Amino acid sequence: MSAGLLSLTVLALAIAGYILGRRRAVSVAGGDARKLHSLPSYHGQSVFLFTAVPAFILMIFWLLAQPVYIENRVTALIPNIEADDAAARELAMADVRRVASGLDLAIAQGALRQADLDTLQAGATDLRGKLAGVGVALGADVSQYTFEAAREYRALKGSLGIGMAVAVLAAAAVGFAFAWSRISVAFRARNVSESFVIAMLIGASLVAVLTTFGIVFSLVFETWHFFELYPARDFFLSTTWSPKFGGGSSLGILPLLWGTLYVSVIALLVAVPIGLLSAIYLSEYASRRFRTFVKPLIEILAGIPTIVYGLFALITVGPLLRDWFAQPMGLGNSSSSVMTAGIVMGIMVIPFVSSLSDDIINAVPQSMRDGSLGLGATPSETIRKVVLPAALPGVVGAILLAASRAIGETMIVVMGAGAAARLSMNPFEAMTTVTVKIVSQLTGDTEFGSPETLVAFALGLTLFIITLGLNVVALAIVRKYREQYE
Amino acid sequence: MNDMRIAERVVDSMESKITARGVQVFYGQNHALKDVDVDILDKTVTAFIGPSGCGKSTFLRCLNRMNDTIDGCVVKGSIKIDSEDIYDPKVDPVQLRAKVGMVFQKPNPFPKSIYDNVAYGPKIHGLTRNKAELDEVVETSLRRAALWNEAKDRLKSPGTGLSGGQQQRLCIARAIATSPEVLLMDEPCSALDPIATAQIEELIDELRSQFSVVIVTHSMQQAARVSQRTAFFHLGYLVEFGETGQIFTNPKDPRTESYITGRIG
Ligand SMILES: Nc1ncnc2c1ncn2[C@@H]1O[C@H](COP(=O)(O)OP(=O)(O)OP(=O)(O)O)[C@@H](O)[C@H]1O
Ligand SMILES: [Mg+2]
Repeated sequence: MSAGLLSLTVLALAIAGYILGRRRAVSVAGGDARKLHSLPSYHGQSVFLFTAVPAFILMIFWLLAQPVYIENRVTALIPNIEADDAAARELAMADVRRVASGLDLAIAQGALRQADLDTLQAGATDLRGKLAGVGVALGADVSQYTFEAAREYRALKGSLGIGMAVAVLAAAAVGFAFAWSRISVAFRARNVSESFVIAMLIGASLVAVLTTFGIVFSLVFETWHFFELYPARDFFLSTTWSPKFGGGSSLGILPLLWGTLYVSVIALLVAVPIGLLSAIYLSEYASRRFRTFVKPLIEILAGIPTIVYGLFALITVGPLLRDWFAQPMGLGNSSSSVMTAGIVMGIMVIPFVSSLSDDIINAVPQSMRDGSLGLGATPSETIRKVVLPAALPGVVGAILLAASRAIGETMIVVMGAGAAARLSMNPFEAMTTVTVKIVSQLTGDTEFGSPETLVAFALGLTLFIITLGLNVVALAIVRKYREQYE
Repeated sequence: MNDMRIAERVVDSMESKITARGVQVFYGQNHALKDVDVDILDKTVTAFIGPSGCGKSTFLRCLNRMNDTIDGCVVKGSIKIDSEDIYDPKVDPVQLRAKVGMVFQKPNPFPKSIYDNVAYGPKIHGLTRNKAELDEVVETSLRRAALWNEAKDRLKSPGTGLSGGQQQRLCIARAIATSPEVLLMDEPCSALDPIATAQIEELIDELRSQFSVVIVTHSMQQAARVSQRTAFFHLGYLVEFGETGQIFTNPKDPRTESYITGRIG
């Protein structure tokens, strides 16, 4: 029974459970639903949940565990002489899977019979030709051990498939019977379904949390590998970044961190004043019609793909800055510069600042403004002395979120600031950031185990810790702000 | 209503401070005030009474143009303070509000320290020359609002951390610190216990020697105790306006009588 069909069966069983459970609840109460502790539909729900949820959970775990188990069993059948290292073994297993699926197809189309399979010798029959006949092309003749492994693979898969169907259906039936037997006048089905809902919500948040942990764990793991190959001291303290494919490279993070900070600071210098002032205008002065029209327009800025900003930086802003500022001032003649990337990135994060700040300023109660205006303060005094101080923590949170967005940005930097790692104060010089280097180290041609590649993980982890720190600070500030008004 | 102690009715001055003629207020389609004529005398306490939603707060907000801040609110008619039309385009509403102080129906302290709350008005208007003078203004205002004893040890802690009734007294202190000429109070005692209420009423009576006070209240006893003039509003109309003693003992309009005896509202 396939997984799809099996889920449909369980679902059908659960729906039947809902209807029957409901009906039973009513009949237990002698037709008067008011005698029940919970509404009949809650009794139905409890049967539904007990039938479906454990069965589906079992099925998911089975489906996750089954391939691992089969793989282990079948790999053992491949002789060590044929595949001596992990990579060769992986290749051999790919062959086995291919032959197995070919056999499935051949039997389904009638080119082979199941009964023949047990006696078949790979060498005696032209298995390759037969499989090619059903559309599975193989690179070489099928060896005896591959064939046997494939046979075992199919057999295991078949019996485990049946095992899963039996186990899942049994779980569904047991759940059904258990929930069914619990239905009575006093049974608190409403509370049971409430607990189930809570469990489901916790489960969903666990998935999110576990995924985050998984990502962090893999980063930490590879970073550890990197530090085994490359001294951590040099990584954090060296001021040169010059990876050489073939060894002897210098992988200091400082020039990259400098570039990241420089670009982000320029971006914030652009975004914070513009974003904040426009937020103040929109929330305090603009008419409602103007606001509903303009706010989405500003938010569109956040929706433009970063590659488009990159183009804008490369083709318009870069040359403009070079021709009008950098060259006349004698500060260099590169069209990619920290300034270019910073300005364009600043434009991109304006909506992060303005939109969030606007919401936060709007959340300051009108009675605060009335209080200030009622004492004879002007609107701008009111904003400076009452509204902004009240909204400040939230606004800082918005700025920090914009900052972590700017730090993580890649595309605009590649196209606007270039890819040369450099420690320099000149804002019209090309520099690069951590994210850009992560991309270029991972897309290189080097072996995965070399420090030149693994450094990407160390860079990623460093960046992650920086943005995480910023986010934690931002969230803490925003939370503190919330406490004041709710 | 037997314990109604009618306050001293002697009005110190017959000079009219505020004259309102034919005031109409619309909130969009909602016609909230209809043709209101009121004369508020100088150095007098005027009480506005009436059932909830009848337009008392609305009329109060017309007197210092706080209605300007409400989207879609239109005020018609003429309101003159010291014979100057406050809705004249030449009048600066900011200046006006410094002259006509207001205590709002819901306490709205700023999320600043108690001290800064009270010092807010004097600071923006530059009423004091140095820190010592400012300290003094803060102290007298808090004393008059009957909050000094509770607040003197925590002047630096946030005003939002006070209890509801304390916040209301803080707002009163904040309003009188600016020394306005007219003080508008929208239910200033709604969250206060009897002792604080008595203190505020004493303050109102004391303030009368310097400026005119307009107070909105739902307590007939309070209106009778503190005011010299009473205006009764009903469904957007000013039904009756006159001497407090006359309104409470001998109302001319049957609606006023039913309201003060508790039959409508
Ligand atoms: N900001 C506003 N927007 C629209 N309508 C309003 C607004 N404020 C008041 N109104 C309407 O104006 C009318 C009078 O309201 P107002 O607040 O003046 O009543 P009130 O007499 O002060 O009542 P209460 O004693 O309950 O405070 C009500 O019908 C109310 O719905
Ligand atoms: Mg009111």
